[in-house]
Amino acid sequence: MNLQDYISSGIVESYVLGIASAEDSAEFERMCAAHSEVRAARTAFEIQLEERLLEGKKNPPQGLKSRIFSEIGMEKEENIPRIPVAKPRLVPRTGFTKYVAAASLILLAASVGLNFYLLEQYKKTIVQNKELVDAQAQLAGANQVLQTKLSTYESDLGQMMNPLMAIIKLPGVPTSPDPSSMATVYWNTYTKDVYLLVNQLPKPLSDKEYQLWAIVDGKPVDAGVFNLNEGISFIKLKTIPKAEAFAITLEKKGGSTTPTVEAMYVMGKVDS
Amino acid sequence: MGSPQTYSEQELVAALKARDDQAFSYLYDHYSGALFSVILPIVKLPESASDVLQEVFVNIWRKIGTYDPIKGRLFTWMLNISRNASIDMLRSKNYQNNQKNQEITDTVYSHDQVTQTSIDSIGLSKFLGKLRPEQRVLIELAYFKGYTHDEISQIEDIPLGTVKTRIRNALLQLREYIK
Repeated sequence: MNLQDYISSGIVESYVLGIASAEDSAEFERMCAAHSEVRAARTAFEIQLEERLLEGKKNPPQGLKSRIFSEIGMEKEENIPRIPVAKPRLVPRTGFTKYVAAASLILLAASVGLNFYLLEQYKKTIVQNKELVDAQAQLAGANQVLQTKLSTYESDLGQMMNPLMAIIKLPGVPTSPDPSSMATVYWNTYTKDVYLLVNQLPKPLSDKEYQLWAIVDGKPVDAGVFNLNEGISFIKLKTIPKAEAFAITLEKKGGSTTPTVEAMYVMGKVDS
Repeated sequence: MGSPQTYSEQELVAALKARDDQAFSYLYDHYSGALFSVILPIVKLPESASDVLQEVFVNIWRKIGTYDPIKGRLFTWMLNISRNASIDMLRSKNYQNNQKNQEITDTVYSHDQVTQTSIDSIGLSKFLGKLRPEQRVLIELAYFKGYTHDEISQIEDIPLGTVKTRIRNALLQLREYIK
């Protein structure tokens, strides 16, 4: 399933409304982390739903707000650590004890102040910690995307370095619509698998696709159609047991049975 | 308890996490109506619905620290808390007794048509009428009654895969209506 089909499969709506299965939800969260398109589709539906429900809101009974506030108000007081207050003792304040009493009051006031300060710091730290955890999760998602890309490149590079690969350069032909075009065929002489590296080809119109041809006994044989993806594309095409040359033409989407000669961009002979 | 201040979503979340009363007051003023419209069509009895709403806001205050913006917007998080609390209410003994009493009252004093119709026009339930009957049943069971796909497959005696596709198709249609 491609990304667009996934997005429009109804998973976005069932996740947001909370009725997707646990498995589908977990998968959706992974897709959100990996693809900004999925995230954007989720946010778009969330905003739509929020706006619609805000428009059709139904006011709850009066007095509910103050009931809620008194419920959480009580809770808040319970959460604040109580500072123990020493009971006054009736001792005549004379001489030295006077100073001790004054000093202990100052210490108590300082301690209360410090407690409040530390409580505030603690609350701030909790918020900051949460923000760090969020940022870390975002980085992990981005890292996963890079890992996937890197492992694709590594396996592509492994293929290119395979000593069994015959390398056939396909330069632009003189009649090419773009003579500066260039591609390279990597042909595994043992498995006969054909890989294509596009060095330079113009971006085709959306209803066209490039097609690779193998020339076998003077006749063109379809070796597969391909798209120009972003970044470096090293594409595995069909298996061709025998060929004297390879060429690329621009054909209608899905490819043709015989090549359109006027739309031939590049060609290269196989060294025998 | 007026709250003239407005917040961006991020500011609001940060203020709530820092336990700011004023932000919570704003949250209530701004969202209680929308959340009540989520709860009412599920719970149906207005008194139980306001009990649920009270519990929901207390839970939002208590659990705001666990809200994770990566998984969705604040409203979506609150909507899911509201729907889950509503479904828990549906399944509570107390509620089921109330419901029975209500039914007896209804039969004695002729059915209260007005209340029923007005509840059907609240929140998402007003779009339900536009769905085909076989789709509506599945949304009723999944969203408004909180059954899992497995349970629905057994109740309706249709394969699990079909349940999932039909629900998703129904939701896609629902989305068209709420545009």
